[in-house]
Amino acid sequence: MMWVEWAWLIPVIPLVAFPFILFFGKKDPKEGGLLAVIAVGAAFVLSLLVVIDVTQGNLPAVAGENGHGEGGGAAFYESSTTWVGLPGMDRGLEVGVFVDHLTCLMLMVVSFIGWLVVIFSVGYMAHDDRKPRYYAEISLFIGVMLGLVIANNFLMLFIFWELVGLCSYLLIGFWYRKPEAAAAAKKAFLVTRVGDILFLVGLVVIYNYFGTLNFQEIQAQLATMLGEHALDVPMLTIMSLLLFGGAVGKSAQFPLHVWLPDAMEGPTTVSALIHAATMVNAGVYLVARGYFLFEHAPDALLVVAWIGAITAFLAASMALVQNDIKRVLAYSTVSQLGYMMLALGVGGYSASMFHLQNHAFFKALLFLGAGSVIHAMDTNDMRKMGGLHWKMKLTSLTMLVGVIAITGLGPLSGFWSKDEIILYVFKSGNWPLFVLAVATALMTAFYMFRLWFMTFAGKPRSDEVGHAHESPYVMAVPLVILAGFSIMTGLIGTPVSPQFQSFIRFGEHGEEAFDLTAGALMGLSLAVAWIGFGMAALFYYLRSANPANYVSAGAGKAIHTLLTQKYYLDHLYYGFAEKVVYAFTKLCDAFDIKVIDGAVNALGDGAVGAGSRWRKWTSGNVQHYAVGIVLGICMLLLLLRFALPALDDLLGGWPGLSSWHWWEGWGW
Amino acid sequence: MIPLSAYLVLSALLFCIGLYGVLTRRSAIVTLMSIDIMLNSANINFVAFSAYSSPFDLSGQVFALLAITTAAAEVAVGLAILLVVYRVKGRMNVRLMKELKW
Repeated sequence: MMWVEWAWLIPVIPLVAFPFILFFGKKDPKEGGLLAVIAVGAAFVLSLLVVIDVTQGNLPAVAGENGHGEGGGAAFYESSTTWVGLPGMDRGLEVGVFVDHLTCLMLMVVSFIGWLVVIFSVGYMAHDDRKPRYYAEISLFIGVMLGLVIANNFLMLFIFWELVGLCSYLLIGFWYRKPEAAAAAKKAFLVTRVGDILFLVGLVVIYNYFGTLNFQEIQAQLATMLGEHALDVPMLTIMSLLLFGGAVGKSAQFPLHVWLPDAMEGPTTVSALIHAATMVNAGVYLVARGYFLFEHAPDALLVVAWIGAITAFLAASMALVQNDIKRVLAYSTVSQLGYMMLALGVGGYSASMFHLQNHAFFKALLFLGAGSVIHAMDTNDMRKMGGLHWKMKLTSLTMLVGVIAITGLGPLSGFWSKDEIILYVFKSGNWPLFVLAVATALMTAFYMFRLWFMTFAGKPRSDEVGHAHESPYVMAVPLVILAGFSIMTGLIGTPVSPQFQSFIRFGEHGEEAFDLTAGALMGLSLAVAWIGFGMAALFYYLRSANPANYVSAGAGKAIHTLLTQKYYLDHLYYGFAEKVVYAFTKLCDAFDIKVIDGAVNALGDGAVGAGSRWRKWTSGNVQHYAVGIVLGICMLLLLLRFALPALDDLLGGWPGLSSWHWWEGWGW
Repeated sequence: MIPLSAYLVLSALLFCIGLYGVLTRRSAIVTLMSIDIMLNSANINFVAFSAYSSPFDLSGQVFALLAITTAAAEVAVGLAILLVVYRVKGRMNVRLMKELKW
């Protein structure tokens, strides 16, 4: 039996669990937690079996009910069935499963990290009073994300894409009694919606051009066009940019990144899920999945690269001044996503996916670690922490692993993938991008160690630290597992043995020799990371310099204000909403009341007025009406007899109004 | 043999009598009776045409039977209405039924 044929079950299990947990969760000893752990765990195990099948090349020769799937030589599995038949379309809209190496990677990341987050939640959410709702929604979230990565066409991807948006709304606003949480949920939903509209338009354009939304078919058509030198590059650029618009919203890229830091209002486990496993990866995945469009549109790729680099830089700079532990992590996610986009933009497909995988592990670790700290402290403010290392050694050490992994201080996972991205940017020869990427690496090292030092090192800065305690095992074990993966996952993609790069690749894999350039760049990124670490240690561990001195006046103060105000982007958006959107809304409202309602009311008043006049002409006596009917019939007969033939004569017989000669044969 | 036109003239006369009754008489009972006269004038037409055009095709006569049945039902409903009108108004004058104009 081939497990890959059961791949469709992977998203279905958590999706089916959703209503079960919602309605019967109270019967579960953990109020839904156990069910969620089992459902997501089953999805993970099945994903694992499928991935093993694919890596072993154990694929069915011919698959798919429409017989278009290919196995054997091709390293993917596809199976689909018609969902809605459309006239003039041989295949209609389809639902289907598509499993290739990229899908495998995403399946593993989503299901495994999702599972660990659910396990962690059992401890983290233990004191919440609406657990069934939480577990049901988190199960739905993981289910739709699995569906998103397993879809075989853009439409299905889009449907799951929107469901992911819905789940993020539900979970960010999970504590909806808190006004900030409700506002953050709305913000996340509305801001990503801007991108979704572009994605939807992109779908229409793609369907209009190719006549299909199936990945494989579009790819095949592109190959044919390439062979005939008939590629419509401007068209492909438009499609790519529209798809990228969707990715910008979902993956929180500049200028639509503003929702992600606010999304911290949800439970920390939800943040971990959004940042590591589900939501934000969807955008990067979309670009990677649609890479067969992007590769023919160099202009679009350049836009991707620039947006990625700008996002990485701006987000890292904003992370420098945050005092909320989760917000620092949020900006770091935005920044790392920028790295992934940048890598995609300069052709580093494998590097981007490699970073996605590593980031998923260490970011899940960091968020769950932060959750553990918040669980112990009941506050997010790093200024009230300090010295926590002695209270929660396990959390502290696993967090340190995550910090080293993300900054690339040592040979942990983030080091390898970030290094590879920087190498690709360097080889693209675009100097501004390279400078932005390296500057981001420097800032990343600084703010991540700032976070760690402020939280765990030094002396306690508030009384709560004294009451802090290590988290229970159900929370600690996922941390240890994730820390292990954060250390290990980088090793499958080192320059020495690039197994990852030959597994996840786009087109032919050019064997990259580890040459002097690569070595020098590795040295550079190491040096940059250590400089960032050193500065952070200087300011926040040794305390030999007070950062406040540098931002109290002059240019330092101006920059600090600019960063704490998030480059005034939120102000800009609020201003736009207030001045332009609200004004337009008022205009529409006035139009509605004055013109549309006015017309309807005038019509109604007119009818009432006319009726009140005409009623005087009537008697209410039935016999009078009967006379009217009789007279009417007589006039109709006379009309048919005389007026219509006369009209026919006048018009030369054309309308034929008198064709019914009712009087004929009566001798009239 | 009686010509077809004789039946038609009879039918037309009956129809006019019925119409006159409906339009002029004040008693609701008479109005109902007049309506039945009009219906029966139509029945005469049916039967006459049926007998003269195709003697072996009885559809016109069947149609007349159908009309008679319908007329019976109509009278039943009409009388029921009149009964209620009588209870409310105390009289049977159609000119008192002016509720069409509010």
